[in-house]
Amino acid sequence: MVKITEYSRKSFFFLSILILISLINFSVAAQLSESEAESGGLGSLIFAICFLSPFVLLAVFGLLWGIMYPILVIWAFLFSSKKLDAMIMSTAEREAQTFAQLGKDPLSTLDGGYKKEVIAAGVVMAGAVYGPSHWHLLIGFINNLFGGSVDIFQKVISAGRAESMQRLREQAIKEGWDEVVNVRIDTAVMSPATAKKGIKAVEVFVYGTGIKY
Amino acid sequence: MVDIVQGIMVVNTETIPGKVITETYGVVSGSTVRAKNIGRDITQGLKNIMGGELHKYTELLQESRTEAMSRLVSDAMARGANAVVNLRFATSAVTPGAAELFAYGTAVKVE
Repeated sequence: MVKITEYSRKSFFFLSILILISLINFSVAAQLSESEAESGGLGSLIFAICFLSPFVLLAVFGLLWGIMYPILVIWAFLFSSKKLDAMIMSTAEREAQTFAQLGKDPLSTLDGGYKKEVIAAGVVMAGAVYGPSHWHLLIGFINNLFGGSVDIFQKVISAGRAESMQRLREQAIKEGWDEVVNVRIDTAVMSPATAKKGIKAVEVFVYGTGIKY
Repeated sequence: MVDIVQGIMVVNTETIPGKVITETYGVVSGSTVRAKNIGRDITQGLKNIMGGELHKYTELLQESRTEAMSRLVSDAMARGANAVVNLRFATSAVTPGAAELFAYGTAVKVE
């Protein structure tokens, strides 16, 4: 409660300062433009560009966003599910390749119980940031209203998890480790769940200790 | 293979196989807050509408983890340790697009 009031007081303070500054600026601008208007010419033009261009840019971006967003969401509706399936498939294929190459899964969550003498050990890590498309977010929102399992988010997150685990395997093979023990899977959200804006994505991070016999 | 970073062995197991811990020097940590530039944020935001992986953010987090780990290693070196065991990572999103990565572990001397 204390924090909230403090925060609002601070924001009010800064807002009032901002308004004051902008008022002063505008009054100066008005006076200057009056004096410039009499002489006319380049000065007023530069002045107008300096003061108006941020607003013009904002308006242009707003318009572009307004036009682009529905198109992108329709694009997501058409293709995002296919894209997700393709990504899951490619991860599964690479996983199968690695298993065939090594004969077993090199990852384990165990610590200790090594079969042979270990000559070297070091940390290995890999990660992937996966996000549901905005069409999936909409499906998830509707699913949320009825309750039950929200399968679409589960699919996205498990795809990210499988992908980052596969990357850890590839990283371990690339660096020359025989096995990765004590694997930990860490999940973090890129933007807070309560935030209305921002990127809705989940980061899956996998790390472990690579050992060499 | 990067089993030794600047003379310090870093593992996330409780012991280093084949070695004996003779002394501990307490908890060492390293953290970093990083953000991509606004252009990247805009392109990644557009990509986020389509869903799928956001490569630039993966890259960002990977870079910052390496940075956090190098800080942890230099902390361990300053304490005179020659290994870090039980390494853990923690993440918190400060604002959308900026993340704090935190790495911590126990500095030890092994033989």
